[in-house]
Amino acid sequence: MKKSLTLIIASLLLFTGCAKEDKTVIKIALVCPLTGDVAAMGQGMKRAVEMAVAEANASGMFPGYTVVLAAFDDRADPKEAVNIANRIISDRRIFGIVGHLNSGCSIPASQVYAKENLAMISPASTNPKLTLQGLKNVFRVCTTDDIQGNIAADFVFNTLRKRSAAIMHDKTAYGQGIAESFKSSFESRGGHVTGFDGIDLGEKDFKALLTAIKSKNPSLIYFGGMYTEGGLISKQSKELGLNVPEFSDDGIFTNEYIKVGGKATEGDFASMVGIPAEQLPKAKAFMDRYHSWYPGVDMQPYDPYTYEAAMIILDAVKKTNLDKSKMVDYIAGVKFSGILGQTGFDKNGDTLNKIVSVYRVINGKFVYQPKK
Amino acid sequence: MLIQQIINGLTLGSIYALFALGYTMVYGILLMINFAHSEIFMVGAYCGFWFLSMLPFLSAFPGLLIPAMFLAAIIFSGVLAVLMERVAYRPLRRAPRLAPLISAIGVSIFLQNLMMLAVSAQSQPYPESFNITRFQFYGATVNSLQIFIFLLSIVLMVLLEIFIHKTKVGQAIRAVSQNHVVAQLMGIDVNKIIAMVFFIGGGLGGVAGVLNGMYYGSIKYNMGFLPGIKAFTAAVVGGIGNIRGAIAGGFILGLLEAFSAGYISSENKNIIAFAVLILVLMVRPGGLFGEEVTEKI
Repeated sequence: MKKSLTLIIASLLLFTGCAKEDKTVIKIALVCPLTGDVAAMGQGMKRAVEMAVAEANASGMFPGYTVVLAAFDDRADPKEAVNIANRIISDRRIFGIVGHLNSGCSIPASQVYAKENLAMISPASTNPKLTLQGLKNVFRVCTTDDIQGNIAADFVFNTLRKRSAAIMHDKTAYGQGIAESFKSSFESRGGHVTGFDGIDLGEKDFKALLTAIKSKNPSLIYFGGMYTEGGLISKQSKELGLNVPEFSDDGIFTNEYIKVGGKATEGDFASMVGIPAEQLPKAKAFMDRYHSWYPGVDMQPYDPYTYEAAMIILDAVKKTNLDKSKMVDYIAGVKFSGILGQTGFDKNGDTLNKIVSVYRVINGKFVYQPKK
Repeated sequence: MLIQQIINGLTLGSIYALFALGYTMVYGILLMINFAHSEIFMVGAYCGFWFLSMLPFLSAFPGLLIPAMFLAAIIFSGVLAVLMERVAYRPLRRAPRLAPLISAIGVSIFLQNLMMLAVSAQSQPYPESFNITRFQFYGATVNSLQIFIFLLSIVLMVLLEIFIHKTKVGQAIRAVSQNHVVAQLMGIDVNKIIAMVFFIGGGLGGVAGVLNGMYYGSIKYNMGFLPGIKAFTAAVVGGIGNIRGAIAGGFILGLLEAFSAGYISSENKNIIAFAVLILVLMVRPGGLFGEEVTEKI
């Protein structure tokens, strides 16, 4: 009796083991916040990878196989990011990870993927530390914060000719990192920083701090963080009669920022990695495809990067003949020509495209500002 | 700058105070902390939002629109609070005190996720309901919305004071808060009175939610959480169960936050505000107004 019971259990285990691993499936993982404060950007990333996966299946890139998207929601929470990373490394059909969005999530999660040498390409985590950990499996297709902060400082100092700035940040790895980089390059050019203050995520009232900032008369507010807080800061500063533009980072480069801040955002600036998509023919074609796939949906700033990251992983899966152990080495040496132009990686895993553009809100839309 | 910080703090404080009343009233009558009150606040804000965005034709009559919106928010969140009491707390009234508390947390999680799934996981811009004009006031800026928020909360608080202390129903509420059994023996329908307290507390919470949405211009399914914690703290500092205490606590907390963010450090404003509150509680464990034990509500 006992023996047969063990047999039944063993066969059950065997059966579930088989059912779990479908050998004709190639899974690409996407991890980003699909709910919570920055979900708008995460949902955009999901649409981009869905599109990449559907195109790969339609074009017959992998005969006999189906490409499947495994999307996970890390809620922009580092703890959740690590939980998900552990689930991902236990799924043997996942060939690579597109993600995460937030640097604070990417950094701890990348250490988990490194255990299995699983390739991870972040489309949006811009904190320099991510690729300075000495991990071979970590890549990113976006430019880092130190470059972005430096270009923002240069633009404020030389193009806008503003000599003083009040700096705010949201205390995250991303927001504080980019604010610090802005601060040091603005000061090294001779700019005057009137204050450097952190705010709490999820907080809605910044008027007390903005009142203190106003009393020091800065000619600009620099904010390192995301669109929800950024939009409220813009709105509340103008309500207090502090009529200076807000300059922020790629975290606010979305229409959601204009929705949250309303009319107050008119004249605000944002820096964004890469050249405007309209200026690259392949990127333009991508945008047209995206809009026909998702009619009436605003494209989010990182959708092209996410799409590119997914395409690089799919390309690597194909070129290595589905050999997961060769993926990382292949990507490290890749010269991929896609919608962002040619993408290659340096020895840390950072993209060799290091361009940052500045945009300004004009008539309720972000408009590209050429450097003077 | 001092005047500006006082204005910032008073606006923030009015919302906290209105919100805190719901916590303190329910505690006063049931000795339980209604953690789901922060969701009433959120639902109230959404109710105002739906009202404004679904009835655009009313915007031609702003004099009618705004009172109607607040009335809708009061009724909707008040009824929701009553339902909550009926479904989640009344069956547990004789249970150990932890049970309704856990039930309240459950209701809170349920409502938050319901709104996230059924409405939106995104923040939504709040429609502007009236033209905001700005005034200069001794070097500080104050706008008509801030004045409106402050005045409306003062009016509601005064009305509540009068209702509790000068009417027969108010007297019944005070009686129930002292002793359910004896109040029942005096011919008071305790269940009805408790439902009424939930309705009033919920209605005021809903108004606070609408004001919060109007003031910050955006709402979200989890918008109640952080202000909820602060309003609860305000109620504790004022002496939980005491209405005047909750009002004072709300304003004190709002001003403390504004001053610590403005003069000391915005990064640590919550730490500073809460540290001061802990000090207050160390000196007066019952809260600022907590000693009037005879009159809990």
